[in-house]
Amino acid sequence: MMIQDIAAFSAVREAGLAKLLPSRPRIAVGMGTCGSGNGAEGVYNAFSSEIDARGLAVELVPVGCFGFCAEEPLVNVWVPGHPLLMLHRVQPNHVDDILNGLGHGHLPPAEIVLCKIEEWDHLTGHVKYGSGYADVPNWNEIPFFNGQVKIVLRNCGLINPDDIEEYIAIGGYQALYKVLIDQDPAGVIEQIKAAKLRGRGGAGYLTGNKWEFLQKAAGPDKYLVCNADEGDPGAYMNRNEIESDPHALLEGMMIAGFVTGANKGIVYVRAEYPLAVLRLERAIEQARAYGVLGDNVLGRGFDFDIETVEGAGAFVCGEETALIASLEGQSGRPRSRPPFPAQKGLYGKPTNINNVETWYNVAPIVSKGPAWFTETGSAKSAGTKVFSLVGKVHSTGLVEMPLGTPLAKFIYDIGEGGTNGRDIKAVQTGGPSGGCIPVEMFDTPVDYETLAQLGSIMGSGGMVVMDEDNCMVDVARYFIEFTHSESCGKCVPCRAGLDQALRILNGFTLGTATLEDLEALDELCRMVRDTSLCGLGQSAPNPVLTSLRHFRHEFEDHILAKRCRAGVCEDLALSPCENSCPLHMNIPRFLQLYKEGRSEEAFLSVILDNPLPASTGRVCQHPCDNRCRRAALDEPVNTRDVHRLIADEVLLSDKFEAMVSRVLERRLDPTGREVAIVGAGPTGLTCAYYLALLGHSVTVYDSRPAAGGMLRYALPEYRLPKVVLDREIELIERLGVKFQFNVNVGEALTLNDVGHQRDAVFLAIGTWKEAWVYLPGTELTGVIPALTFLEAVSRDEQVPVGKNVVVIGGGNAAIDSARTARRLGAEVTIVYRRERRDMPAIPEEIEAAEHEGAKLVYLAAPHRIVGDKNGQVRAIEAVKTKLGEFDTSGRRRPVLTDEVIRIECDSVILAVGEKVDPDFCKASGLKVKEAGTLEVDRYSLETSRERFYAGGDLITGASNVSNAMGIGKKAARNIDKRLMGQERFPSLIPDFEYRMEPPEPPSEHGRHVPGEMPAAQRVQSYAEVSLGLTAVAALDETYRCLRCDIRSGER
Amino acid sequence: MDKRKIGTCWLDGCSGCHMSLLDMDEGIVALLEKADIVFGPLVDAQEWPEGVDVAVIEGAVSSQDDLKLAQTARARSHVVVALGDCAVTGNVPSMRNGIPSRKLLERIYVEGATERPGVPTDGVPALLKRVEPLQAAIKVDVHVPGCPPKPNSILFVLSELLEGREPDLGSKLRFG
Amino acid sequence: MTEKVKVRIDGEVIAATPGQTILEVARANNKYIPALCYMEGLSAVGACRLCMVEVSGVARLLPACTTPVQEGLAVVTSSPQLQSHRKIALELLFAERNHVCAVCVSSGHCELQALAQDHGVTHVRYPYNYPRLTVDTTHPRYVLDHNRCVLCSRCVRTCAEIEGAHVWDIAGRGIHSRLVSELQRPWGEATTCTSCGKCVQACPTGAMAEKGWGVEEMTKQPAVLSRLTSMREGQ
Repeated sequence: MMIQDIAAFSAVREAGLAKLLPSRPRIAVGMGTCGSGNGAEGVYNAFSSEIDARGLAVELVPVGCFGFCAEEPLVNVWVPGHPLLMLHRVQPNHVDDILNGLGHGHLPPAEIVLCKIEEWDHLTGHVKYGSGYADVPNWNEIPFFNGQVKIVLRNCGLINPDDIEEYIAIGGYQALYKVLIDQDPAGVIEQIKAAKLRGRGGAGYLTGNKWEFLQKAAGPDKYLVCNADEGDPGAYMNRNEIESDPHALLEGMMIAGFVTGANKGIVYVRAEYPLAVLRLERAIEQARAYGVLGDNVLGRGFDFDIETVEGAGAFVCGEETALIASLEGQSGRPRSRPPFPAQKGLYGKPTNINNVETWYNVAPIVSKGPAWFTETGSAKSAGTKVFSLVGKVHSTGLVEMPLGTPLAKFIYDIGEGGTNGRDIKAVQTGGPSGGCIPVEMFDTPVDYETLAQLGSIMGSGGMVVMDEDNCMVDVARYFIEFTHSESCGKCVPCRAGLDQALRILNGFTLGTATLEDLEALDELCRMVRDTSLCGLGQSAPNPVLTSLRHFRHEFEDHILAKRCRAGVCEDLALSPCENSCPLHMNIPRFLQLYKEGRSEEAFLSVILDNPLPASTGRVCQHPCDNRCRRAALDEPVNTRDVHRLIADEVLLSDKFEAMVSRVLERRLDPTGREVAIVGAGPTGLTCAYYLALLGHSVTVYDSRPAAGGMLRYALPEYRLPKVVLDREIELIERLGVKFQFNVNVGEALTLNDVGHQRDAVFLAIGTWKEAWVYLPGTELTGVIPALTFLEAVSRDEQVPVGKNVVVIGGGNAAIDSARTARRLGAEVTIVYRRERRDMPAIPEEIEAAEHEGAKLVYLAAPHRIVGDKNGQVRAIEAVKTKLGEFDTSGRRRPVLTDEVIRIECDSVILAVGEKVDPDFCKASGLKVKEAGTLEVDRYSLETSRERFYAGGDLITGASNVSNAMGIGKKAARNIDKRLMGQERFPSLIPDFEYRMEPPEPPSEHGRHVPGEMPAAQRVQSYAEVSLGLTAVAALDETYRCLRCDIRSGER
Repeated sequence: MDKRKIGTCWLDGCSGCHMSLLDMDEGIVALLEKADIVFGPLVDAQEWPEGVDVAVIEGAVSSQDDLKLAQTARARSHVVVALGDCAVTGNVPSMRNGIPSRKLLERIYVEGATERPGVPTDGVPALLKRVEPLQAAIKVDVHVPGCPPKPNSILFVLSELLEGREPDLGSKLRFG
Repeated sequence: MTEKVKVRIDGEVIAATPGQTILEVARANNKYIPALCYMEGLSAVGACRLCMVEVSGVARLLPACTTPVQEGLAVVTSSPQLQSHRKIALELLFAERNHVCAVCVSSGHCELQALAQDHGVTHVRYPYNYPRLTVDTTHPRYVLDHNRCVLCSRCVRTCAEIEGAHVWDIAGRGIHSRLVSELQRPWGEATTCTSCGKCVQACPTGAMAEKGWGVEEMTKQPAVLSRLTSMREGQ
């Protein structure tokens, strides 16, 4: 039906409305490429055959995508008079239930109901679906949609993209009609300029200005081009826009055609987007058939036609001059500007090129005016931008947000944070031309200028979230590899410069790079950026340059420590577990040795990697669990409990003596070098152990009467029986380490005394100062710091706690204090200001505390401790908090509310964190950092004073046992290297021969968890709670390991 | 003042750079007043001595022996000069880099042999996978390109180095 | 006579004709700006990026060969940053292919070699690529050695714009770009080649040469080609 007048236009509109809001139920299946990829075709077919079979009066249509990719397939169900119901993760087996409910007003199963839409503003028109379904949240109450402003995506996922009548029904082509009637091209350009619409392809040039250039360019032949050559990895908004709403693109181009005097439009679209091409071509055919496109558009005497050209997939063809060359049939290489396309473009004629998304903004601006448009967005960047939020984020999909929205809003509110509790560390914006923005800068507003200041770009709107599993060096390498292979080769810097940059980056991931390479890379990337011919080369170094700026330490790790913390660069790690272990234990090796029944060698493997394997086997935070690949199948391998068993079997048995001599055999010849260590905690003990093994003479000083530090004086007996620790320390002593107890270095003995006639000194005192919160009432009797409390209990001293104890804090010390207080017979309440999942304590420990009867109160910030007239604690008052904005740790900041709770109690244990004794640091004369910790070289651990090294909590602040030991091990390695002038550390480990084959088949059993004493029984005593794995369970656990350390093929 | 020590050696090259070194006429007399040549094809020392002031290395790094000698020279010398295009760029020796060394040896010693075909293994150093310029193997302080570099350029570089100055080559030298 | 515009090159005020590029104005006034892909008489493509200059008021560096002059334009042709960038570009070219100067017919008459010398390139700081490249000797009179090609496309433009035969083009992309005659046909079998040899004369390095010359023996006359164009334009 040709539309040549208003009456015909209205008739089509009515017909379309009758389809959109029919008199019978309508089911719309989201069938973009994303939906189809998730099985939407099957769902559609199931609906179709079931509707036919039942003879139901139900409309079934395909629509595009509403943007929530993580929840595909999406299906809309509308029953006249009711809201539009949006269903998610719909499978063909849901079809029956959905159809059954239709006639009876029943909702589909709750697990597939996502949200409802009562009315929708298409901007060019308004649709009222109906109200009801009180229990179903509105669409914008869903976190993923909350805050989204749908201008570009106004029609996506709601109308049938293959039906022009539906587009006209929601006000489509009205803006075009208005422009053709008004006959005021200059006025329209003024509107676009006033709206401050900027190119959405990335460069952000003002669209109105570009149109004006074209309008003013001479000549009858002018071209409009839509750049739909979307090629950024991780960006797919243009595809979805075309697939879901092709007519809005055509309308935008036609309006521009009329006002600039162009009569020909070309959509240059990737051939890799077959569905987009198909729907676009159908839309063009329909528009021609309805008289909306072609000669005499809408009967208004304006001729304009549009054709599609499929691009062959070269990334560089997104650059406008290369795109023009490609359209002309030449190879896609850019050329220098000037002349600009508006002067000399396609076939030498004036040409204007805009990105897909830019065109989608045109009709709403014409309909609603520039003032409406500038209400959204920031001062310089008006309107919205569609972003593809992908990567390591919980909710992925297409997100349309006002420009200027802070990054944190995208990541934590819309995306709901990281996946599987992982910490997010950066977002890559703008694809291969963009850069990485670190988590510390997530308050950055996303607009053109701010991103550019950070060395990134908006680009087409890709937003790839990276977490701790992403190696930023590898990310930079990946993007350079991409631009390197997409470089056209015309100009030298891009062609040969990126090639060299890639070589240098490969060196980092292989561990062969040097610090000079870091400088060379920086210089080379700046040269490529400054001198390349087109945007591809000019922006290709951005991922490297921003990573060098924000993540330089990761590059340095790859060079100086030959470590890839994320475990991505496989040449730098044995296996993910080894890489994540602070002690870098060869976990697959001891598992395999144990599996082969060689338990003594397994012990040797364990003890040579970790001098406190039985203690850490009980209390380690087990970072290896988070990296274990077995977790992808069921649960991670319980390596911690296996090495506990291996160690217990020796340490607590008559095999001990024999194994001591096996370890002594590994000791290198005496070197005659003397090393002093201050602090006999885990860090100092580990360092002493290895230095003794390396043949040095070692003396350890400690202010307390026995060795072990926190392990002895802060960890309760029920978690770590001291008999185990004693055995481990005995082994260290047998290696020749001398201990000087009850010596307070810094007071009785100066550092100079310690360093006198010593070849090296290692400082490893712990964090024995309780960080004190200054609450009103902390001076009251009955308020005790957690460490004081735990130490007193461990020394069997009389502890003044009453019957009702409140513990403040959420770390391990808080949980240990609570569980210990329970054993002293007290009723215990733990008060924590954030949510449970934010607690730094080991989750199993929190659970155990609960089982033992401790009460937990979350989201409560203590604000005063109430005392009686005798100065004795009577109660604590806390303000309830709610979760506010995300802070830089990726956790929501607790915000105070008006609600105050009061808990009656007679004791308060403060476990709000520990810190280094600042007096010691100050008195040491060594350089101190702002945080109060000692300044050391990150890699050598040397302090500002030569021969003096520091480690453990002194440099990191409060940490955990394994991290502390890891630093002690690293210190020993570095001190030895410095003393002996060569790397001798690896020679401590004998050649263990063991099978390099994965288990065939691996055990199908789930993770073996040690048995525990019943909770009721354990609060009666300090006996160890965990009973450890049985030998059988441990053996089966070794069969669960998939042996990631085995490599096959040539590397 | 004690005389300075110069060591020279010749890796994978044609000896042309050493010819050029000898070709500096009376310049060499002045040079030898300031320094002794303590190692190299021109003298009969068997091992690169410790404490050399200037190491002058001709040729690309092509075999295990080349690599070892270059590393020894580097470890025992204060300044290392890469002399000539082979040492600086790889030059002609590097033209074999497109061909696997096994194929290369077979082509020459088997296919190309008129008598006793067979790849020699005894008493000859193993070829490296790729010929590299000197700087790919060790740190080089001064590069003197040229095939060969002109005698005067060599004299200038050595004189400056012996005076403890960094020679400013500017645009005095070119490849080839 | 068109109106002249005043530009400033390295501080000196120069009168230029609108439409001229910075490089043209500089060369006409004995101001040195290095370039490799630029050749008088051919269209400018801005591929080698050696002629990048600083223009006051413009944050980015601009290629002198394709940037037209405007009234008041002030250009700096040399600065530590520009020299550093140019030096890197030259080193990248040497590392990219196998330019073994010692055995090249053009040694001593090579523009790449001369530029390296001008910029004090005594060695290449990047690892050499050592690609395996062919030498096309199929043409009876000329030879094409890909090892020495810098992809400046002067031959391509000479053949297309002066000779009008368009035998040459560049195929592939990125680091794998190669000069090709016709559609990958060996040069000797190219039916459109007139064997005029203009491409050889335009080539700045030893990539294209006449057969029969030894090391350092081949000299070229690109100026003759430039004159051809200016004489045609004068007609």
